[in-house]
Amino acid sequence: MTDPFTILGIEPRFRLDLERVGARHRELSRALHPDRYVDRPANERRLALSRAIEVNQAFGIVRDPVRRALALLARHGVSVPEGSEPPAEPAFLMRMLELQEELAALAAQKDVSALERFIERAAADEASAVEALAAGFSELERSAPSPEVTRELIRRIGELRYYRRLLGEASAARDDID
Amino acid sequence: MVLLDIFDPKAPPRPIGIDLGTTHSIVATVREGRPVPLSTCDGTSLLPSVVYYSPEGGILVGRAAAAHVTREPERTIQSVKRFMGRGADDPETKKLGAYRFVEPETPEAAKVVRFDLGWTRPSAVEVSAEILKSLRRSAVDQLRTVGGAVITVPAYFDDAQRQATRDAGRLAGLEVLRLLNEPTAAALAYGLEKKQNGLFVVFDLGGGTFDVTVLRLEDGVFQVQSTGGDSALGGDDMDREIAERLLATLAPSNARTPELVSLALELAREAKHALTEREAVELDVHAPGAKPARFSLTRVEFEAWIEPLIARTERACRRALRDAGVSPAEVDGVILVGGATRVPRVRRAVKELFGKEPLADIDPDLVVAYGAAVQADLLAKASDEVLLLDVLPLSLGVETMGGGVDRILPRNTTIPAGARSTFTTYADNQTGFEIHVVQGERELARDCRSLARFSLKGVPPMPAGMARLEVSFDVDENGLLHVTALERTTGRSQTVEVRPSYGLSDEEVERMLIDALDHGEEDLELRRLADARVEGERIVLATRKGLASDADLLTPAEREAIERALAALEGSIRTATAARTIELAIDALATATHEFAGRRMNRAIAAAIAGKAVGEVEQSVAHAAGIEAHLADKGAH
Repeated sequence: MTDPFTILGIEPRFRLDLERVGARHRELSRALHPDRYVDRPANERRLALSRAIEVNQAFGIVRDPVRRALALLARHGVSVPEGSEPPAEPAFLMRMLELQEELAALAAQKDVSALERFIERAAADEASAVEALAAGFSELERSAPSPEVTRELIRRIGELRYYRRLLGEASAARDDID
Repeated sequence: MVLLDIFDPKAPPRPIGIDLGTTHSIVATVREGRPVPLSTCDGTSLLPSVVYYSPEGGILVGRAAAAHVTREPERTIQSVKRFMGRGADDPETKKLGAYRFVEPETPEAAKVVRFDLGWTRPSAVEVSAEILKSLRRSAVDQLRTVGGAVITVPAYFDDAQRQATRDAGRLAGLEVLRLLNEPTAAALAYGLEKKQNGLFVVFDLGGGTFDVTVLRLEDGVFQVQSTGGDSALGGDDMDREIAERLLATLAPSNARTPELVSLALELAREAKHALTEREAVELDVHAPGAKPARFSLTRVEFEAWIEPLIARTERACRRALRDAGVSPAEVDGVILVGGATRVPRVRRAVKELFGKEPLADIDPDLVVAYGAAVQADLLAKASDEVLLLDVLPLSLGVETMGGGVDRILPRNTTIPAGARSTFTTYADNQTGFEIHVVQGERELARDCRSLARFSLKGVPPMPAGMARLEVSFDVDENGLLHVTALERTTGRSQTVEVRPSYGLSDEEVERMLIDALDHGEEDLELRRLADARVEGERIVLATRKGLASDADLLTPAEREAIERALAALEGSIRTATAARTIELAIDALATATHEFAGRRMNRAIAAAIAGKAVGEVEQSVAHAAGIEAHLADKGAH
């Protein structure tokens, strides 16, 4: 799988100006979208389609902090297969468990405003986790990744994943009430 | 004023846009830079989406067909769009209605609903094709030559419904350039004139489907942020609310003949329209077999009955906004599409939800067809002035061993999109594999819409768990799914045959085409030849354009090879008597230009990355009028 940063022609960094990445995505889409190849032979249309898909996939990866982080690690030769992350710290897991229980209670009560407050807090937690990841990666930009740095980054990615899963479940619970 | 339409024999075929609506269908084209509706066989812009099959074997479309609805409701198919892509046991097919369906004899047959009309048993695809044929004939009458067509579909239409629409187009003899989502079409119609960057919501409530779409327009790119809706909610449901109560007063449930039901639905529709203008309405009911009665209804009562429907639209709107990560206050404009948005309660709901008056100055019945015509025109010109980036409306997943869903493409993913999943065998020497693809957001496969079962055949025999079946799920710009599979363990990538279980195969469409034409095979061959000529000419033109702009990417030898293949294609277009000859020449040219195409694409990508396109984009935004200016013109406040 070719590197998404290369496909989009952008700097391989964690902190990105997503507005500009969006503009780049639009420009590339203009060049490759199948609608522009309607009058070409089938093989050209197929080529354009597969490259358009690539560009959309790359954009999807870069837009998502977790996938962006994984793609950056992949560039350094570090691959993190799903489920192989080191276990999170006990304190963190306890916190997650408490939050899950709180969410379950709110969902059962169908308390919309409380759920929305919960979602706000979860979103703030997620933002902090993203920030922690960004800080971790700026270290990486200065030097090649040592095993400790890599491990720490993977741990932070793991935490971000937990927060996102929680946020997803909270949003789904809120949707269910509708 | 144009008194005579001078026919220019060298003019290229005109592309058309078609809104294949639940209650009305429209065909439009772009003339002198603006979309205009074409006259249908009824002499109007709106063709009722009604098809009548007479007992003697005749087929009528439009107003003439609608005239039969009260006396012969079973033979007069209305709102066939509701049945597209649906099976016999789909709840939609069981709703209140007057039709007789063919009892399916096999599970295979149950996949496609068929109307039982005695001498014919058409599927929804074939009924829709009759409407499209009529529109095509009207277009040919007025434009002489018709080019490709863009047909619109609700954004929420799933893969089976889209395939069915495309098949109907093919059956009607149309070259379907693209399926376009209706809300995106509406946004295109509004947005192109009044280009202004911003966030817009399209609220599309038609006869049978509801779509809400959140779009961002930025520098000529219409990018859908999220989409939602309900593919079984529309003006027809409002009619049903009234009709149910009307029927209850007229007759007990066991005395409901199809004629009575049809009459009730007709009256309901009239009442609904009347209540848009007036606070109360009174209907004289002359039901056969019952004494004349008076049915009165107030707007207040009607609004109470449709409250659950309104609530469903509000829910879908809120969800789409959440998916897009925006609040109602951030929305710059709400576009209304579909006749049902004329209902005052609906307009009030929109205004309350978004806190602003919606935009409705383009006729809500025509706006989608206008957008389709504009898109068809853009495609015919291969223009890059405007780009539509749509999204997948429903998550795509694969059923796992335990009945759960493995989500491969989440909803609101920008299309075209692709994902790859690797599967393996569970038994020794297993050579076949079944993949059940579902669409939907639920956790269990059985709660999602079953889309297709793909059978993979030709897996090389090996111990269980060793095979690496890499399956690619690609969704193209039409929202249509393509599945390919490769077996990787054998060292060489071996393509595995994939066979979908829904939709019409190419052979079946061909057989239908042959049946439909009076002279069968012979006519089909002629049509194929004509199609091949059109395609060949288009490719010649495009290739010549490419040579003119990017010839520096070729060595003299390569250029010569392309010129030779071009000449051969041009020759075959002139002299061929069989489509196959031209198709082979097209293939030969494709081979010769393959490398060239790749290099041109790389050049376009490099230009995009270098930001070369930015200057051009600034130009097009600079001479845009802007929606605010437009509103100022209209004196709106």
